[in-house]
Amino acid sequence: MTPLTYLRIWMAGARYSVVRTLMFRGDFVVWSLVELFWMTVNVMMIAVIYSHIASIAGWSEYEMMLLVGTSMLIQRLLMGFFWSNFYEMGRNIRTGAFDFYLAQPGNPLLMVSTRKLDLDGLANSVIALALVIYSTHRLGLHPGPRDIALYGILVLAGLVVHYSLLVLTNSTTFWLKSAQGLEGSYFTLAEFGRLPREAFKGLGSLVLVWILPVVVTTNAPARTILHGFHLAWALWLFAAAILWLGIAVFVFNRGLRQYSSASS
Amino acid sequence: MNKYRQAFLIGLQGSLVYRWTFAVRSVFSLVQLLVVFILWGAVYAGSPVVGGFVFGQTLTYFTVLVVLQFFTSAFNEDYQISEEIRNGLINQFLLKPIDYFLYRLSIFFSARVVSGVIVLVPMATAFVLLRGRLVLPHEAWRLAFGLPALAMSAFIQFSIAYCFGMLTFWLLEIQGFVILSMAVESILGGQLFPLDLLPAGLFRAAQFLPFYYQTYFPAAILSGRITRDLAGQGLALQLFWTLALVGVARLLWRRGLGRYTAVGG
Repeated sequence: MTPLTYLRIWMAGARYSVVRTLMFRGDFVVWSLVELFWMTVNVMMIAVIYSHIASIAGWSEYEMMLLVGTSMLIQRLLMGFFWSNFYEMGRNIRTGAFDFYLAQPGNPLLMVSTRKLDLDGLANSVIALALVIYSTHRLGLHPGPRDIALYGILVLAGLVVHYSLLVLTNSTTFWLKSAQGLEGSYFTLAEFGRLPREAFKGLGSLVLVWILPVVVTTNAPARTILHGFHLAWALWLFAAAILWLGIAVFVFNRGLRQYSSASS
Repeated sequence: MNKYRQAFLIGLQGSLVYRWTFAVRSVFSLVQLLVVFILWGAVYAGSPVVGGFVFGQTLTYFTVLVVLQFFTSAFNEDYQISEEIRNGLINQFLLKPIDYFLYRLSIFFSARVVSGVIVLVPMATAFVLLRGRLVLPHEAWRLAFGLPALAMSAFIQFSIAYCFGMLTFWLLEIQGFVILSMAVESILGGQLFPLDLLPAGLFRAAQFLPFYYQTYFPAAILSGRITRDLAGQGLALQLFWTLALVGVARLLWRRGLGRYTAVGG
C-alpha cells in the first residue's frame, strides 16, 4: 500500500470520528470539560507554587507555564490522534477482536494507530497552544517565523517519542494479556516532562533526562521559544525520537508473534 | 452482621486476584513520589521555607498522603457499582435481605486491606531511601485525631464513589463525570500541593468542602501540617460531610430504584 492509500484510510477514519462525535455531542462536551479541568488543575498548581517563590530551577512562573503548556500540547495531540486507538488495542487483544486489524491489507501498527480520532483531545490541544502563546506574550517574547516553525517541528518529534512510549506500554498486552495498571504508566512517565531539565540532579538526571526521553520532548521546544534554537537539544530530541520509535516498532512486531487470535 | 462479614471475606479473595494490579500501582506511586521529590526539591532549592514548612515536612506530607490513599481511597468502586446496575446484577440484592450500601462497603474495606498491605512493601523502600529527610511529628494527639480522620476519610471517599455509581440509574456513561471529579479532588484534596499553600481565604473556603477531608485532612494531621485547634474543628466538619454523603448515597439508591428496570435473567 502506498502512503497515499494510508492517508485516504486515515481520512476515512477521521470522517467517521467526526460523524460519531456529532452523534454523541453530550459526550464530546463532557470529555472536553474533563481535559480542560485537568489542564486548569496543572496551571493552578504552578500559580500556587509561584505565589510563594520566584523560580523553580531557574525557571520563572511564565517560563514554567510555557513548559507545562508544551507538555500539555504534546499530550493532547497524543490523546486526540492515538490514545483511544491503543486503549482499544489492549481490549481487542484480550477478546480476539484484534484479528480485524490483521485481516486488513496494511501495516498492522499503522492500521491500529489511525483507526479514529478523539476530537475532544484535539480541541484541547488548541487550548494548550493558547497557554503557550499567552505565556510567550507575558514573557514579552516575540519569536520569529523560524523559531515558531522549529517549535512546531520539535513538538512533532516529541509527539513521536510519546507515541512510541504509548505503543511500548500497550504492547505489553501481547504478553501479559492485561495492561491494566500499566496503561497509566504512560501518564506517570509523562509527568517528568512538566519539569525543567535543570531540576534533575545526579542519578536522576542520568536516568530521567538521558535514558528516558520525556524531559527532552518538552524542554527542547520550550527552550527554542525562550532562548532560541539550540542544535544540540534538537539533535538529542530527533535521536531519541528515531531510537524510541525503532524500539516501539520492534516490540510491537515481536508482540504480534505472541498473539494467539480469537478464542472460540 | 454475619452476611457482611462473609461479603468482606469474599471481597478479600476477589481483591487478591487483582494483587498484581495493586502491586503495579503501588510501584508507580513510588515513581510519583520521585516526581514530588524532584519538583519540590527544586522549589525548596531557591527558598528553604515555603508556606512555613521546610522541604522535609512537605516530603513527609506527600509520602503520608500516598500511603493513606491505598488505605482509604476508592479505586474503581464507582465503575464496579455502575457495571452492576447496568448489567442488572443488582437484581439479586433486591430480592434478598441485604443492604447494597453495606455490602459494597464491606467489599470496599476488604479491597483497602489488600491494597494497604501491598503498598507497605514499596513504601518501606521509600522510607529507607528517604530516611533522614522525612520529618514525622511526635505529638500523641495527632494519632488520636488522625485515626478517626482516616476512618471518616474512607467513608467519604467510598460514599462519593457510590454516588457516582448511582448516576448510572440516570445516565448511560459515568466515566467522564468520574474523571472530571478526579481533577477537582486532586486539587481540592491536596494531592498536587498541600492546601495550606493556598491564599488564606481560599484555604478557609476549601475547609468547608468534602474534598478537603478526603486526603489532605488526615495526611496534614499525621504529617504535622495543621494545629490541634484546626484539626478539632476539622473533625466536626468531617463528621458532618461523612453523614451527609452517606445520606445522599442512600437517597440516590432509593430514587434510582424508582427508575430502575430489571434486566437479565
